[in-house]
Amino acid sequence: MSENKKSAWLRFLEFVDAPKRRNVSIPVLAVLLSLIAMCIFLLLLGKDPLLAMSSFLKGCGFLPKGSYAGGKGMITDLMSFLDVLAPMLLASLGVVVAMKAGLFNIGIAGQMLASGYIATVVIGYSGLGAAAAKPLVILTGIVVGGLMGALVGFLKYRFNIHEVVSTIMINYIVSYVTGFCINTYYADMISRSSKVCSSASRLTITGVPFMGYSLDLPMGIVIALLMVFVVKYMLEKTVLGFEIRCVGANNLCSRYIGINVGRNVVTAMAFSGVLAGLAGVTYYLGYYNTIIPKDLASMGYDSIAVALLGNNSPIGTIFASILITIFQKGNVYMSSQVEVPREIASVITGILLLFSACGAFIWDYVRRRREHLEESYAESLVRTARDPSDSEPPPDVPAEGKGAAK
Amino acid sequence: MAEEYIVEMKHITKRFPGVVANDDVSVSIKKGEIYALLGENGAGKSTLMSMLFGMYEPDEGEIYVRGERVHMSSSSDAAALNIGMVHQHFKLVSNYTVAENIVLGIEPKKKLAGFLPAVDIKTANKRISELSERYGLKVDPTQKIEDVNVSVQQRVEILKMLYRDAEILIFDEPTAILTPQEIEYLLEIMQELRAGGKTIILITHKLEEIKKIADRCAILCRGKLISVLDVAATTTREMANLMVGRDVLVDIKKSEPHFGDTVLEVRDLSVRNADKFEVVKHVSFGVRAGEVFAIAGVSGNGQVELADAIAGLDRAANGSITLSGVDITHYNIRKRTLEGISYIPEDRHNVGLILDFDLKDNLSLKTYHQEPFSHKGILDGEEIEKYSDSLIDKYDIRSGQRGRTILRSMSGGNQQKVIVAREIELGNPLMIFVQPTRGLDIGAIENIHKHILAQRDAGKAILLISLELDEVMELADTIGVIYNGELLKIADASELTPQEVGKYMMGVKS
Amino acid sequence: MIDSVFIDGISFALPLFIMAVGGIYSEKSGVTNLALEGLQGFGAFIGALVATVLSQSLLPSDSPYLMYITLLAAMVGGGVYAMLHALLCIKCKANQVISGVVINILAVALTTFLTSIANTALFDNASNKFMLAVSPRFDVPLLSQIPVIGALFKSMYPFEIIIIVLALIAWYVMYRTGYGYHLRACGENPHALDAAGGDVNRVRFIAVVVSGALSGLGGMCFAYSISTQFSPSIYMGYGYLAIAAMIFGNWNITNTLATCLLFGFAKSGSYKLCQVLGMPSNYSDLLLVLPYVLTLLLLVFFSKHNHPPKAAGEPFDKSKR
Repeated sequence: MSENKKSAWLRFLEFVDAPKRRNVSIPVLAVLLSLIAMCIFLLLLGKDPLLAMSSFLKGCGFLPKGSYAGGKGMITDLMSFLDVLAPMLLASLGVVVAMKAGLFNIGIAGQMLASGYIATVVIGYSGLGAAAAKPLVILTGIVVGGLMGALVGFLKYRFNIHEVVSTIMINYIVSYVTGFCINTYYADMISRSSKVCSSASRLTITGVPFMGYSLDLPMGIVIALLMVFVVKYMLEKTVLGFEIRCVGANNLCSRYIGINVGRNVVTAMAFSGVLAGLAGVTYYLGYYNTIIPKDLASMGYDSIAVALLGNNSPIGTIFASILITIFQKGNVYMSSQVEVPREIASVITGILLLFSACGAFIWDYVRRRREHLEESYAESLVRTARDPSDSEPPPDVPAEGKGAAK
Repeated sequence: MAEEYIVEMKHITKRFPGVVANDDVSVSIKKGEIYALLGENGAGKSTLMSMLFGMYEPDEGEIYVRGERVHMSSSSDAAALNIGMVHQHFKLVSNYTVAENIVLGIEPKKKLAGFLPAVDIKTANKRISELSERYGLKVDPTQKIEDVNVSVQQRVEILKMLYRDAEILIFDEPTAILTPQEIEYLLEIMQELRAGGKTIILITHKLEEIKKIADRCAILCRGKLISVLDVAATTTREMANLMVGRDVLVDIKKSEPHFGDTVLEVRDLSVRNADKFEVVKHVSFGVRAGEVFAIAGVSGNGQVELADAIAGLDRAANGSITLSGVDITHYNIRKRTLEGISYIPEDRHNVGLILDFDLKDNLSLKTYHQEPFSHKGILDGEEIEKYSDSLIDKYDIRSGQRGRTILRSMSGGNQQKVIVAREIELGNPLMIFVQPTRGLDIGAIENIHKHILAQRDAGKAILLISLELDEVMELADTIGVIYNGELLKIADASELTPQEVGKYMMGVKS
Repeated sequence: MIDSVFIDGISFALPLFIMAVGGIYSEKSGVTNLALEGLQGFGAFIGALVATVLSQSLLPSDSPYLMYITLLAAMVGGGVYAMLHALLCIKCKANQVISGVVINILAVALTTFLTSIANTALFDNASNKFMLAVSPRFDVPLLSQIPVIGALFKSMYPFEIIIIVLALIAWYVMYRTGYGYHLRACGENPHALDAAGGDVNRVRFIAVVVSGALSGLGGMCFAYSISTQFSPSIYMGYGYLAIAAMIFGNWNITNTLATCLLFGFAKSGSYKLCQVLGMPSNYSDLLLVLPYVLTLLLLVFFSKHNHPPKAAGEPFDKSKR
């Protein structure tokens, strides 16, 4: 009766806490809590949560809207969604790679801006045809981002400057310098942002006719998905990836093994920068074709949320970035349907991030409840005079020590 | 009379998982005496005093202070009873002055301009100067901690207690990091304190110091109280005998030694710690193939730093290290591993393993970068898994999901098996084991000892660093005793009795 | 002419300074605080909200009391919001860098959203701005008559005086009172305070709340002085500039004041220079880079002299002796 009820809850907790599933359970818990929070929020404002949810999805092309303008349909919305998903996915991968080495790359936004700017000015304004321009844009993203990342890694390794400090400084240096250059040399008088890059250099192929629709084909998503597997392969199957993970997991042991910690720090940050650079070109010469002066993409910070939510794994990042992008892209349509300010999307993202950050704490709470319940369950068994089942002898020294910070 | 005992601990028993740290220990300490607690590592001295200081509560038994039963659950309770402890690891704020550190938490207050609350450092300075005069503790209250040496820092810790009117002062291994002159100075201070009516409890393993300063001495071994002696009436030899005097189970399973060439040659090796203090002083010795060379000593005498320096984890300040004729003094750690050194470190969790990785990765930590486990920078997962499976079977490593088990979920004994397996399989001619059986149960200990002897019989050179006298006596062919960073004695194991080794461990040179 | 350099420089430097002081409080107690940007924004939001609500109902919008209440509300708002950071870092022992980033992202989202909601509720207009009354300015008697330097005391905002007073109090508490001693100990070796019977977590909690309050004040002052409104543009990155100033000032209040004055005069000076030379204002943007570059160079060449609090970034764990 009450014992049965207890053990059902206990079994659920055991299921959720199992080592295999633990890594997925926390993010799922964070998402659920955030969605519940959002629904409560909406209800308090007197709006319909289900309408809001479905509107988010409609805005991204996952569900059909009521009506469409000419040449537009679910598929064009979906293409547009993928176009903005690409830089988000790339940026988050950048955060993940740095985290694997135990580093925080908060400079994604600056690295994005620098690569986007240089690609725009050098290639986007040149007259090069698409066959040359597009690969060069990608290459620029890789090179500029990689160099910036390597610089941050070098500053840490050689001068022990914390990467959080150096990346924040560099973010603003890039922001002001590129802002100045755009305003002085490359501004479009009407839009006040930079002159648009050539469509040849743009990584989104616009206006492609297809079955009566006018599609914008997102090349960036192909790059992004490709990089997911490149990163996954690098981390799991290469010696470099192994060493980077060692450095991030246990610095002392890495030295004991003989790993060159400094070199791996620089390499990991460079790789992270490459991904940020690719994010930059798919953002500024893909989804957008212009750069607003001094505008550091909020994606640069949101990508930290995505990486956390995706549990710091390349595959998890795909799901997490899809989720967050649904909120961010779908909010325009959603707010037109539900009459809430569209900033609610960023509020949800923020709350999601908050719950992700507390993840470990919520987790410990779950575990302590489980241990407490297990104890009372065990006691109740003894009380009913059943033989304790033959189990493995307890470990001779309890596995101690707090793990390295994620 | 009960009144003359300022502290009485009666029938104290304290258990931790897997071990009885104190087993029915009763000590009575008189007011105004210097009372020493002597014993090897794990004897129970620190645990007993931690209870007097409020950090733990006894499972059984009672504590009486000044004749009254007390229950202490925090160091503040102990402080309220005028009990203070000078820890081995100082708790000082480096950019504060001496005075600021001493009064932290009980700062004297004044009112500036009649109403502004402020800390009255001048009053503090004055009182500290007075205290330091009275007990001969030379300090300048206005100096910053980061500008003074270890000996002065220790005086600050002592003054912290005196400032709080501590009557009973507990010192936990106070001379570990002091030079001989500083040790002399500390002993003088203790005499001043005693003259001032303070009671001192000294936890130490150093017999010479006990002889110089203590009135009485309690000898602990394996959690039990062996004896309480009058120091003046007992020789160091007798004390050492009592300390080690139990029947040491030397189950001679060892086969006859067959020594080969010298594999490791260490000459004039010195190592400095972060404070530039020489923790290993001009050490020289050699280890032959097929030999177990055990370095015995009490924790904190430089043995870990010595092992780190030979393995390559730490740099030697001077001296040379030669491996089978090759000078490896300037090789980095990976090169030394490839040249022929396997290292089982003391800190299993933070150094020897990556707890968040799985078993197969941990077993490959030293081999992943070579063929056949990787080809041109790409890991060969199959080979790694095959290797891990073979080691799991060969060494009987208990794991839930074989190669995929996460290390953190494995028991301590099995975690150690992983390190031992990995290092033995490297097949290196020199193997360094530091404290390999710490915290393990009998079965796991036997298992590791069997491996060490098997490797010795296979012709490997084994350097064993251990705090356990039993382990040393059981496994060693040659014994070196380290004390204060020096190898006091090197001799064939058959020539030394456990009592003699114990004596050297305590610093008695004759 | 040079007057305006002084005047504008000081009115930028002081709010930046009080934010940096907040950062110093938090970091010197051992809690890394990257959240200044979010804290100043949230504080400014609460202040502007209170101002708007009050000027609707209770007080005429040009009442002098309104401004003081607004500033107070901003401090309270920042302090309360900082409790979130304190909770995450101290109780949940979360990673302090991540917590700071979370606070910043959440602040932007929450304030923009709630501003819309509030404006809709009050004015039926989903604007994301709150307008503020223009703040009066005054000359300090006597001091402003001094040639050259007197410009520092001309055309001051009332909040500049408030900042100076608060900064003096903050300095005094930090270096002369018992709490300040405990705070600085927590940032270097919290175990020392713990062994002496102090409550490390409580000291840190208060320090973080103070950092929120001071940042909120700074944000509100920026809102008044830069654009007389609260809008998403409050998130100009001055919170991060304050962190740079704190690092450049070596976590020392007087050095940080000098640094902020340097940054402030660099900003106003470069702007004036552009005006005088007839260059478009873009060029002054370029000089805004200077503070960040200087801080980086300082870290590269003088890293030995740069001393962050030793225990900052690590949650306090009693069991680690």
